[in-house]
Amino acid sequence: MNLSKNIALICKLPSHLTKVRPAVIVQTRFYPRPTSFPDYFQNPVFRKEDQATLVESNELSRIATVPVKPPTVAETSSVYYDPLVNKVINHVMKMGNKKLARSLVEKAFENIKRTQIERYHLAKTPEEKAKIELNPRDILHKAVENSKPLLQLLPIKRGGITYQVPGPITEKRSLFMAIKWLLEATNDKERTVHFPEQFAWELLDAANNTGKVVKRKQDLHRLCEANRAYAHYRWQ
Amino acid sequence: MLSRNIRYACRRYSHAVTFRTTESSPTQQTDNQFGLFYTVNKDLCKQLYGHGGLPKSYMKQSKTFAETAIMVRRPALDIINCIKATDLNKPAIRYVLYGEDGTGKSMTIAHLLHYAFEEGYLIVHVPWVSDWLRRVLRHKEMANSLTREGLVDLPLDAAAWLLHFKTQNQHLLKSPEFIVSKEYVWSKREKTEAGAPLHELVELGIARVKYACDVVDAIVNEVKLLSNSKKCKTFVAVDGYNGFFNPLTRLKTPTKKKVAPEEVTLTTSILELTKNDWTNAVMVLSADSIANPDDDTKNYLPQHLLYRKGFDHLDPFVPVKVDRYTDREFLTCANYYRDRLWIRGPLDMETELKLTSACNPFKFMEQCAPL
Amino acid sequence: MPVSKYFSSSLHSVYNKNARQYSSSHKNTTNAHDINDQFTDWETLNKKKSISKPMKAYLERAREHDDFMKKQQIEYNIGKRHLTNMMGEDPETFTQRDVDRAIEYLFPSGIYDPAARPLMKPPEEVFPARKAAEFDEAGRPHHFLFYTGKPNFFQLLFDAAEHLENLHKFEDKVLRNKAIPEQKSKLDLSSGVWVSKDQLEIMLVETISDLEYDNFKLVMERLVSTPYSYRCIDFIEKFRKPLASQKFALEIPKPSFDEEGRAYITTYECLRKKARGDVTIHSPGTGKIIINGKDITYFEDIQSREQVIFPLIFTGLQNRVDVECNIEGGGPSGQAGAIRWGIAWGLRSFVDKSMLESMQVAGLLTRDHRRRERKKPGQPGARKKPTWKRR
Repeated sequence: MNLSKNIALICKLPSHLTKVRPAVIVQTRFYPRPTSFPDYFQNPVFRKEDQATLVESNELSRIATVPVKPPTVAETSSVYYDPLVNKVINHVMKMGNKKLARSLVEKAFENIKRTQIERYHLAKTPEEKAKIELNPRDILHKAVENSKPLLQLLPIKRGGITYQVPGPITEKRSLFMAIKWLLEATNDKERTVHFPEQFAWELLDAANNTGKVVKRKQDLHRLCEANRAYAHYRWQ
Repeated sequence: MLSRNIRYACRRYSHAVTFRTTESSPTQQTDNQFGLFYTVNKDLCKQLYGHGGLPKSYMKQSKTFAETAIMVRRPALDIINCIKATDLNKPAIRYVLYGEDGTGKSMTIAHLLHYAFEEGYLIVHVPWVSDWLRRVLRHKEMANSLTREGLVDLPLDAAAWLLHFKTQNQHLLKSPEFIVSKEYVWSKREKTEAGAPLHELVELGIARVKYACDVVDAIVNEVKLLSNSKKCKTFVAVDGYNGFFNPLTRLKTPTKKKVAPEEVTLTTSILELTKNDWTNAVMVLSADSIANPDDDTKNYLPQHLLYRKGFDHLDPFVPVKVDRYTDREFLTCANYYRDRLWIRGPLDMETELKLTSACNPFKFMEQCAPL
Repeated sequence: MPVSKYFSSSLHSVYNKNARQYSSSHKNTTNAHDINDQFTDWETLNKKKSISKPMKAYLERAREHDDFMKKQQIEYNIGKRHLTNMMGEDPETFTQRDVDRAIEYLFPSGIYDPAARPLMKPPEEVFPARKAAEFDEAGRPHHFLFYTGKPNFFQLLFDAAEHLENLHKFEDKVLRNKAIPEQKSKLDLSSGVWVSKDQLEIMLVETISDLEYDNFKLVMERLVSTPYSYRCIDFIEKFRKPLASQKFALEIPKPSFDEEGRAYITTYECLRKKARGDVTIHSPGTGKIIINGKDITYFEDIQSREQVIFPLIFTGLQNRVDVECNIEGGGPSGQAGAIRWGIAWGLRSFVDKSMLESMQVAGLLTRDHRRRERKKPGQPGARKKPTWKRR
């Protein structure tokens, strides 16, 4: 068409190429669909207890106006969902095989339950019976609590020598170390013993404040105590 | 121990449905006991199910719960009523249990075994057919059959089964009526005369493993004769019957040739046993899709599982469907688990578990395990 | 001679007005006219005003850009008239929307990215805005913060600081008089976010680094959180963008009734990853769940089953509704997620307002638009890079 020549057809240049940009470009910008939710999406609150606290503080209506991310595939509002258990399953998981990881952890819980019920039936007096913890999730919580380190050693280089300096640890890192040690201890197992069994034994030991993992934590604390002299290197 | 459990039941769950019944004899159980658990005596348990009979997962549970409790359910009671009403002079009736995976076919057979034991039947029970045909851990001891050409023997399995048979029928084999009708010659020096007691034959089979399969064959014939002559009534139970009709087994001859089920002597013995040409007997078989795990279609109907051959062999039979838990049964099961400390926690869990397990007994047990 | 402006943002004009105000307030700017007015000396009259080379180049560039923009504007107008002629419409009432539609009709394009398709827009929208002359002929800048390099941005912060000081003074005054005015409460900015970095850059016609943007947000937050901040609400509102109104509460469909008189709702287009399906909820029901004709045993793993019953248990309607869904595509996770969203979306009609808000806070009503990220060339995966070598 002749007339088309007179119509100015301007192809708009992408804006990020016309302006001067710093050297680091975030990958997501180049894709027509964002791969994750933007910053202003809030985390979901789906557990009944958390929702109850929100209702009490009258914040529910306020948060309802803000966009919220959907809960992930493994999160439910059911009574037997535990975020710590979910985290442990994720750490056990390899190559994205969540089904297998979940079944292993559940079998470990089953083993814990069976041993504890046996002990319960063997215990004679009601006081002894009351001391035995039958819920495997509580045992997991206790085990993780007992194997969380309170300090960590940071390698700090001064004058050519790398000193191991004791320093503070965040809550998240502490939890991560506890779970990692538990899994490492489980994986140092004999060939004939299966993962759920060994994991059950490790958890029971840790909940009792005995066993390899708690020993490792106590060794770390002892090292920190021994290297107390270098603590000031953190501020030099 | 029974009374302590009842006290617990009354004290803790007075608002809930009771889950136990004191009626521990299957002959006396009626519709009133639907959905309730009754406990089986420990010694009886060992005798009846010592070498198989209860599913492995159930055995683990009974160890944890420190008791063996079976739920009274509709299929079992139906069959019991049918047996009570049959005329044993007619040819044997065959009941085939079928249903989805994990709905309780093996447990129904266990319940019926208890009933048969109480009523004084002679029990011929094959705990799990795939043990013979598919469970090849490293190497299965096989031998070429001596008496029959071209067939394969499983001597150790046969000997184990004879032991099972012996323990189940200890009290009956002692009676003087059970005698061998004809003479069996095993080798130049060994033979069993006519008129010898049956348990001698059984012990010979256990001792001389080489001839165990033939002993099994002989026993099948003897049992049939004894039933026909009204000396005893027989109760045959086979779990996973469709395993006999699969195209192939996992067995291989030393020449690496695959063995079909018809080529195993034990198969022929049991098939002989389940023909309906003899009287004074009741046969309960189960068609389980677990016995044929190569099949991916989730079809649990007998016509599909038994193939053409099995269907023709078993025709006519009475199909009995074993279904999932009803609401009431589910509630009693959940209460029983609570009593045995298997589930703990708020009552909301039951509604969720009901939906996720879809009331399938096995799945329910699996999902309760880590809680 | 100030160069003509061609950007249409009102805010920018405000800033430039400030710039010009500042320039006029200074008495020692040397304007050519001023000089001619004051001195009538022959020497100074003949003295050639020496403009430095960079200044000359700048003026040249600015004039070229001006001319270019004028030409573009003329071309655009002519093109628009031709377009109206082609489409047979009235050129007076031809809006930009009509232009867009006409272009889409005449030049259909299968290109995915909307920015790459043919478009015809007024030149102000197409070409990025540039600043006017920031300094006069003698090289004296108009804006008092010119030498910061980002005068508009720092002007903004300056204004915010000024407002903050004013608020503090007001508070002091109130406390001194011990008077309690009506609105002491701080501003409640519930729905809305601060203007994004890109938009702020467009508003200020300047580039901003991430740190500076965070600083800006901090300053504005501080301003909002001081008492009596309602007095500066105009200033704050300029930088406040309302979020898209929540779709979950609008247009809740009314259930229709089937032959038996049961109320039912069908949600189509339940998507998650590659799973597509639809979910029907029948209201007076017994808690039956049917997926593709099968029971909940359609899903073999527990996780998918838990996801399907999640909304039912959350709202407590598990025994009071029947669910029937058809789904295809994707894997177990994707299908379960799609069904979960479908059930939650359908339950909106059977649930009261407070439960609706709870569902929204739980995130059940958000559509999960995430898809699998593509693998890039030169990398083994979407994000995974080959082994990093220092040299």
